[in-house]
Amino acid sequence: MQLQYGQVVGYLPDFLIGAAIALAIAFVAFGFGLVIGLAGASVLAYGSAPARWLVRAYVSFFTNTPQLVQIFFLFFALPEFGILLSPVQAVLIGMTLNAGAYLTEIQRAGFRSMPQAEIEAAETLGFTRFQTIRHVIAPHIMKALYPSLSNQYIIMTLGTSMAAIFGVEELTARALNANAISFRSIEIFTLTAGLYIALTIIASALLYALGRALFRVKASVF
Amino acid sequence: MGALHQLAEEAPRFFTYWNMLFLGQAALNTLLVSLLGCVLGYGLGFVIATLRLRQVMAHAAVRGALAGWTEAIRRIPFLVLLMCVFFAFQLSGANQTLFVIAVTAVTMRMSALAAENIRAGYESVPERQWEAASVLNIPPLQSLFRIILPQAWRVILPPSTIHAVSMIKETSLVSQIGFLELTFAARMLNQRGFSALICFGTILIAYFVISWSFSRVGRVAERKLVTEARRVRNGGAGV
Repeated sequence: MQLQYGQVVGYLPDFLIGAAIALAIAFVAFGFGLVIGLAGASVLAYGSAPARWLVRAYVSFFTNTPQLVQIFFLFFALPEFGILLSPVQAVLIGMTLNAGAYLTEIQRAGFRSMPQAEIEAAETLGFTRFQTIRHVIAPHIMKALYPSLSNQYIIMTLGTSMAAIFGVEELTARALNANAISFRSIEIFTLTAGLYIALTIIASALLYALGRALFRVKASVF
Repeated sequence: MGALHQLAEEAPRFFTYWNMLFLGQAALNTLLVSLLGCVLGYGLGFVIATLRLRQVMAHAAVRGALAGWTEAIRRIPFLVLLMCVFFAFQLSGANQTLFVIAVTAVTMRMSALAAENIRAGYESVPERQWEAASVLNIPPLQSLFRIILPQAWRVILPPSTIHAVSMIKETSLVSQIGFLELTFAARMLNQRGFSALICFGTILIAYFVISWSFSRVGRVAERKLVTEARRVRNGGAGV
């Protein structure tokens, strides 16, 4: 048996498009998940008892079941209620709901690290509302949250490989297709693994630089 | 609601003794693969984390290679790792069952997560204790087992239950190579004509019950550890 990477490098441009799609799926799901998480964390911090119970049930359900089965459910069971989702929609909604649960948990910690005394000090010093958020609240909350948020983003980038099972043409799906055509299995999947490693290392480096520049966070990412 | 009507109509056909036996065995397979993989992975992760210690392994090249392994495995999606393992077995000509392939993949993934976790535990113990041990002429492995680990395991234990729970969920991907665990069983029942609603709904509840009870146990153990640590620190009864 000889490994012949020469036969699979031709797939590289195709795989890179797949990688871009994977990043895009992760980005969209993370963005909406962040909104859901913020809403959930706000309810947990300020909501009424039944609302808090609902959010806790949501978080507990989505963090205790596999993302794959959640998407299976959305994709195969919802049509029985007359809701027909395309593969991309099912994956995006599933990943968003899943991310929303984890991001609720993460952002809950942010509400606890709100620097009350410093906010009052900033008001006294005549900071505008925006300046208070930009220079006082955000650095505090971000110091607590940024590493977890970045980790979640990387985890979600890796999680997009699940979309292949539903026929979304991202990196893993393209690898499976290339495998079916060329039968150079081990070469293709090690190449794909290498691409995921490179992709997430680049994402980690960017997230680190971003955190440093915007919020002065010096935590290691993933 | 037509779907709910259908659900009520097919429930007696679905929740039969044989179907539940089938799902129960599949759930056992899920548990077996993930927990066996966790145990083996933690063993391997312990070796990796220990060999990454400057005090234990003198060769920087070995330490670097192990750091590379840990970093790389954590950045490969489990599905892709599974495919790599699957085809590597095929390439090597070793005729192994899907169970062995699945456990190997879980073990590899777990070894990287465990190595990181155990390393964090090692780092929670001040460097000075290593130095003190070395001044007292205690060999590195002995100081690891007698001095460092007794303090580090409180940091190591809580995330390990989280890892076990996350592995139970991630093994749902093993259904892709055809290993009969919960997710694969649900797909089989679905193909035998039961609605997706009842098949996937049932295993969602099954996964929830399994993983919720595991994280509950983990949380209780963690709380016990924390209070115990506080009691020891306050000079109460030692362990």
